[in-house]
Amino acid sequence: MKSHLILACALALPCAAWASDHGPVFSYATPVNSQGEVSFDTGLFGRGGSAGTQLSTGSGFGYGVTPHLTLTFLLPATFGSGSLAESRMMAGGEWSAGASWRFLHSVTSVGKRIESTASLGIVAPGPQQDSGVLGSLHRAPGVAGTLATGLASRSQYLWAGAGYTRFAEASNDRRPDTLSWSGVYGYRPTKLRRGYDQWDYRGFAELTGEHTRNIRTAGAILPNSATTSIWLGPSVLAIFKNIAISGGAQAPIFRDASGSIYGREHVRFAINFSYLKYSSHAGAH
Amino acid sequence: MKKFLLAVCLAFFSFAAHAQYEQVNLTVFGMDCAPCAHAIHVSMKGIQGVSTVDVDLNTGLVTIKLASGNNASMRQFNQAVEKNGFTHKDAEVIAKGKLTGTAGAFFLEVSGTQDRYALSPTASTTDLTSLLGKTVTVTGTVPQAAKGKVSDTLRYKTIVEAR
Repeated sequence: MKSHLILACALALPCAAWASDHGPVFSYATPVNSQGEVSFDTGLFGRGGSAGTQLSTGSGFGYGVTPHLTLTFLLPATFGSGSLAESRMMAGGEWSAGASWRFLHSVTSVGKRIESTASLGIVAPGPQQDSGVLGSLHRAPGVAGTLATGLASRSQYLWAGAGYTRFAEASNDRRPDTLSWSGVYGYRPTKLRRGYDQWDYRGFAELTGEHTRNIRTAGAILPNSATTSIWLGPSVLAIFKNIAISGGAQAPIFRDASGSIYGREHVRFAINFSYLKYSSHAGAH
Repeated sequence: MKKFLLAVCLAFFSFAAHAQYEQVNLTVFGMDCAPCAHAIHVSMKGIQGVSTVDVDLNTGLVTIKLASGNNASMRQFNQAVEKNGFTHKDAEVIAKGKLTGTAGAFFLEVSGTQDRYALSPTASTTDLTSLLGKTVTVTGTVPQAAKGKVSDTLRYKTIVEAR
């Protein structure tokens, strides 16, 4: 019973702070849930390349334990085969669960805040196999950590973040450790700084990058299996009260990946829908 | 015993019915987007006795109007702001309560709540002795306090005997 409880708690810890309701669709950002807030995100993420298109859906749940601590849980599913490199910026075939802690939160003026959020989570292989070379590996769970910092205001947003995922070994195979990073700038035009009972729009320019280390298969390193890529593209976030829709696309500005191991990835795109349920519970006086 | 309890309850509710916050204006820091404002709106509306809530994102001003006879306390308004990850500046209030204390040290007791404020004037001192023990309507400012705390001072602009 005790081990079940520990497992349940571990799975209830949230994951990386990306593709969330208040922020950009590809990049790391700092927002967390309010205390008692339940959030539900579901999105469609696509990666198109020379070897085909891979689509994945990710459905995430979040719960704000305190104003600065949120637990999240992500259930993904993948479709199609792109024979693509490992990515932690785009939802893949792993379940993940973790906790996001907003450890720095400076709110000293109207409409503006500076904050930093750290996330730590567990990544576990889902029921679906990856495609391409990754699909032939034995899969083991991993640990993912992210850090994001930035500014949110009525007019502008600026976030920078980085993450690292390390996978365990399974039957002499190991998926590549992944270092990812992002920078995002957002802007809300003057005409769109309206009341909260109207649609709230903002646009982002998202720069993301990933470096995946070599794959280990049958106890040996697979030569030239490390990859590095940098992506840039726009996204838009529209929010009405407690419903948010975001979408964007990215193109590569730098790619270093073996063409004989992976397909050549041309485009990434994402559409995300969020529903936020705020707590109306007021403490007794 | 039953009659005694009933009498206590009746006394409490009749007193609370004509002493309470009527309006609270808070300037909230850190709200950048619609969900922030919506979260504040939902949290404030969840406080029993709140009739309307208006949130202006560009000024950060949250205007809360309360129904007659409410028991809402300042701590609840603070909690509604803090649980959403924000802070607020001084609170402008219109409150009805009993003026207590002694000449030179006046207090406002917002009945139906545990809120009790030491009164200090924002401008020239008015002699409040004639209002001691009476129910008064006060407009003024409750200064910003540390997180999780409520200021025990109310800087009043006006105090009149409640009708």
